[in-house]
Amino acid sequence: MLSIIGGLFLGWSLGANDASNIFGTAVSSKMIKFWTAAILAAAFVVLGAVVSGQAGIETLKGLTTLTLKQAVIVSVAAALTVSIMTILGLPVSTSQSVVGAIVGISILNRQLNLGGMEKVLICWFTTPIGAAAISVVLYYTIRAIYNRLNINLFQSDMFIRICLIVSGSYGAYTLGANNVANVTAVFVSAGLLNVFYAALIGGISIAAGILTYSRPVMETVGKKLVRLDPFSALIVVISLAATMHIYTVIGVPVSSSQAVIGCVLGVGLVKGVNTVSARTLRNILSGWFLTPIASCLFSLAIYFFSQLQFVSPAG
Amino acid sequence: MMLKSLFKKENKIESLIYEYLETLALSQESFLNALNACFLRGTMCEDFDFFIAQTHKYESKADDIREEVNNIMYGKVLIPDARGDIMELLSCIDEIPRLYEHILYMIHDQRIELPDFLIADVKDLLRISLECCDLLIQETTALFKKEGGIRLFVNKIDINESHCDHSERRIIGKIFESDLNPFDKLQLKELILLMGDISDQADTCSRLVNIISMKRRV
Repeated sequence: MLSIIGGLFLGWSLGANDASNIFGTAVSSKMIKFWTAAILAAAFVVLGAVVSGQAGIETLKGLTTLTLKQAVIVSVAAALTVSIMTILGLPVSTSQSVVGAIVGISILNRQLNLGGMEKVLICWFTTPIGAAAISVVLYYTIRAIYNRLNINLFQSDMFIRICLIVSGSYGAYTLGANNVANVTAVFVSAGLLNVFYAALIGGISIAAGILTYSRPVMETVGKKLVRLDPFSALIVVISLAATMHIYTVIGVPVSSSQAVIGCVLGVGLVKGVNTVSARTLRNILSGWFLTPIASCLFSLAIYFFSQLQFVSPAG
Repeated sequence: MMLKSLFKKENKIESLIYEYLETLALSQESFLNALNACFLRGTMCEDFDFFIAQTHKYESKADDIREEVNNIMYGKVLIPDARGDIMELLSCIDEIPRLYEHILYMIHDQRIELPDFLIADVKDLLRISLECCDLLIQETTALFKKEGGIRLFVNKIDINESHCDHSERRIIGKIFESDLNPFDKLQLKELILLMGDISDQADTCSRLVNIISMKRRV
């Protein structure tokens, strides 16, 4: 059990941070009570991880072969990267830090599945672009349906709130399904856990993060999305869930934070307004490169220190 | 049916808004009764006190309803955007019964009597001002019931408001051309300006309804 502490910490921090992308809008604007959102998100994350988390776990497992010691190093290095970059206020993606750490170990093992790595890289780069495209399509489609409903102010309010709860739950499901691989896939690769237990334990650790520490993040980060009108905010949540679902089917864990930025950008394109600053785009770019590089270096450093042995002066 | 029970507070707000609009119509009726009973005949009479009390009662009731709506909304009902719009709209409309009450108290407390040569013009000013309020009630109902035609109401109220402005200036002109003593002239001018404020306020609220309606178009 001690071996997977690094992974559990990753899951906990993922839940604490990424739930805000899904329910942040509804909670920070008091449309849904925090505990309603947290319980729904926690339940659906576990469900998503167990039911649909297998593909992502298989992809990360297939990147390289790990011993138990190397799996622990990968999870500790990824957890360390996430913590340090969060403390420094730098953008960070759990998916990218885990893959960075796996690459570090695979360099030492001289064994990396280049086909799998190529798939992962393509998915990373296309996440915000794909999310933007999905949000544009969904904006036009849902707008057409919404306008046909011809509903009054109160009905419109009800419609948006119900849709936010439903799409938020769907988003939590896809978050669990997509990101559980980051938490426990390395332990499947090391033979410590089977896929089902990896998904279950990973899902529970993400849910624990949501239930224990997502409140402050939801209330602050969510306000960034509240600046959008309620309909646009709804489109962002639905698009995020759809994006995460697509990458879950492909079997590659991606960053929900980068996906949400893509969705906001897409809505901005439809409405003809600039919703994403140049700084945010710079953050995505730095996240793409800085996070995996830092994580890769940490895993190499930890491995190096773990190999040091005490040599007795007498010996 | 299930949705109705899920959103009890929202339904309560909706019915309170309709109740508020009915109370506004009653306060308007009472205001007009008070003026018709005595003031527009050029004298004061006993019924005037009764109708003032009646108008005050409806104005207070409208205040209470608005307060109740606000209290429910402070309990985090509705999306903040809708919450803000409703609060702003009710706060805007609420100025109208306040004006009714203010005008009646002014006539009562300052013992203002309307000279015969102004009666027809003041009647005309009041008729159009109150028509603006009727239209505003219909426009607000249309907003909440999604009946459409809001732009039409805005245009009608705008035309009426311009008519009231002309009427107001004409009456004030007549007051200062007359042989009344300067104190009465100033007193009457102040009263006419207050009466003119009714259509101005209705116009402001009408534009707000239009903005709220346009904001809901995706």
